[in-house]
Amino acid sequence: MIITEILTKETIHLHLSADSKTAAIEQMATLLSEQGFVSDAQQFVSDVLKREESSSTGIGFGVAIPHGKSAGVAKPALAFAKFEQPVEWKSIDEKPVSMAFLIGVPLEQAGQEHLKILTTLARKIIHESFRDQLLQATTPEEILQTLQF
Amino acid sequence: MEKKILAVTACPTGIAHTYMSAEALEKTARERGISLKVEKRGAMGVEDELSEAEIREAHAIIIAADTDVLESRFAGKPVVKVAVAEAIKNPNRLLDEALAKQPGVKQDLLDQVQQTKESRSAQRSGFYKHLMTGVSNMLPLVVAGGLIIALSFIFGIEAFKEEGTLAATLMAIGGGAAFALMVPVLSGFIAFSIADRVGLAPGLVGGMLASQLGAGFLGGIIAGFLAGYVALALKKYIKLPRNFEGLKPILIIPLLSTLIVGLLMEYVIGTPIKWIMDELAAWLTGMGSTNAILLGLILGAMMAFDMGGPVNKSAYTFAIGLLASNVYGPMAAVMAAGMVPPLGLFLATLIAPHKFTKEEKEAGKAASVLGISFITEGAIPFAAADPIRVIPSIMVGSAVTGALSMAFGATLHAPHGGIFVLPIPHAVGHLGLYALSILIGTVVTAVMISILKKSKV
Repeated sequence: MIITEILTKETIHLHLSADSKTAAIEQMATLLSEQGFVSDAQQFVSDVLKREESSSTGIGFGVAIPHGKSAGVAKPALAFAKFEQPVEWKSIDEKPVSMAFLIGVPLEQAGQEHLKILTTLARKIIHESFRDQLLQATTPEEILQTLQF
Repeated sequence: MEKKILAVTACPTGIAHTYMSAEALEKTARERGISLKVEKRGAMGVEDELSEAEIREAHAIIIAADTDVLESRFAGKPVVKVAVAEAIKNPNRLLDEALAKQPGVKQDLLDQVQQTKESRSAQRSGFYKHLMTGVSNMLPLVVAGGLIIALSFIFGIEAFKEEGTLAATLMAIGGGAAFALMVPVLSGFIAFSIADRVGLAPGLVGGMLASQLGAGFLGGIIAGFLAGYVALALKKYIKLPRNFEGLKPILIIPLLSTLIVGLLMEYVIGTPIKWIMDELAAWLTGMGSTNAILLGLILGAMMAFDMGGPVNKSAYTFAIGLLASNVYGPMAAVMAAGMVPPLGLFLATLIAPHKFTKEEKEAGKAASVLGISFITEGAIPFAAADPIRVIPSIMVGSAVTGALSMAFGATLHAPHGGIFVLPIPHAVGHLGLYALSILIGTVVTAVMISILKKSKV
């Protein structure tokens, strides 16, 4: 099981400009739908935003991981973006967000291996060294390499 | 001694926060050399589940969750409870708070009883677990239905036959609707326990057919297991092209499993099970007093043997199932026998106070309340403290009560309620003798315990 099944070069954007959290999520969802991971971007975005309403996914350290289990997702998917300007996310440490992972999981039984990747990613984000590597990466290839686990 | 901390993390989606908060806690604990185990309840199921022993030994428990985490298993333990995000933000503070907690206070009897019940249901596995999922989902229907039927008897035992009366309406609610759902729900939730959501439809339908065919609760149990394993097999072995995969749980499995279960019930299983149920009902209603007493003895002893455990529940389920076939004697015997252990222990603390500790005497009062409410589990703390003397005593008392209840021909139309159903007119047949049978068993238990137990001086 390798990360490229759920994250591709095309779903990584290292210079995204977005003036709001909603705009950022919409643009990242578009990346996923262009690559066929997401079948109904509108549905997916609305499910992700619904999740944000219950509590922000800005987990501090300038990172956010918006995510949704949604009927609009065709297969488990990941998008990664670094923002040109930090985006306000109502994070738990109240700092704006400079990079984000958007996670999509289909409503019906996602494969265990895919979930494993996503949960491993969630665990990694807690570690500063992992976040630093992501921040320093300048090409999609480097990001993919950092995410090989 | 080193303080062991436990934690549980959970979030609604179960993808991100559950694992991030677990990682944050584990990382911080590692850095500070604190012993910590984290249970993760996420989309992949429960990982690193906390065992009963671990919970018992833990100093304190951190709950970082935005969803239910079966909190009742931590009863009596110090708990630090926060939103899941808090563990990501402030793992240090949470660990400090947990370490600073004072050890839990001694629990009272009601907590202990509650806890034993919870841990029992958590430990159930396989066949018994599926059956109990069915039974426990059926019980509310039986209790509501049975008591509503009993209410209709207030107007006279035949009053419901007069159309348009309140008695007839009560009978329609209790008997026509609630009891009619009994076997389908039993069967449906057995299948649900086995195969998850896809089991429910074939299970409900199988149970309904069992009910309509007259195959009763036995047919319902068989239909439930059949439906569960059929649905499970279909879920596992039907492979579809990716595009059609979505049709599986919503169209293909329900259709095929319901069809298979329905046809088997109609053409293969229904008739022989109906025959068994008819024979059983005929034997139970027509049996001579020797057999009746024997059955009462066995059911009574079973009710007391493990006080709410599998043996007790088997006897209870048997009696409940027979309600669906209009056989009411075993129900009476089982409830009476189930009330005796806590009542007998209460009486023992009164007649032989020197043989019990101060706490036990207090617990005896609580046990009396549990006893009159037909909660056999009230006897557990006593039995746990001194099983060799207590369990035989309560088994003998309950067996005597069960046998007497059967011998007196007592009947019970309600499946639960303890002493509180006795005043409802016509709910109990041979009320006076029935109460007497409970009383005699209680005295037998109390005397036997008083003789067997050593003095506490």
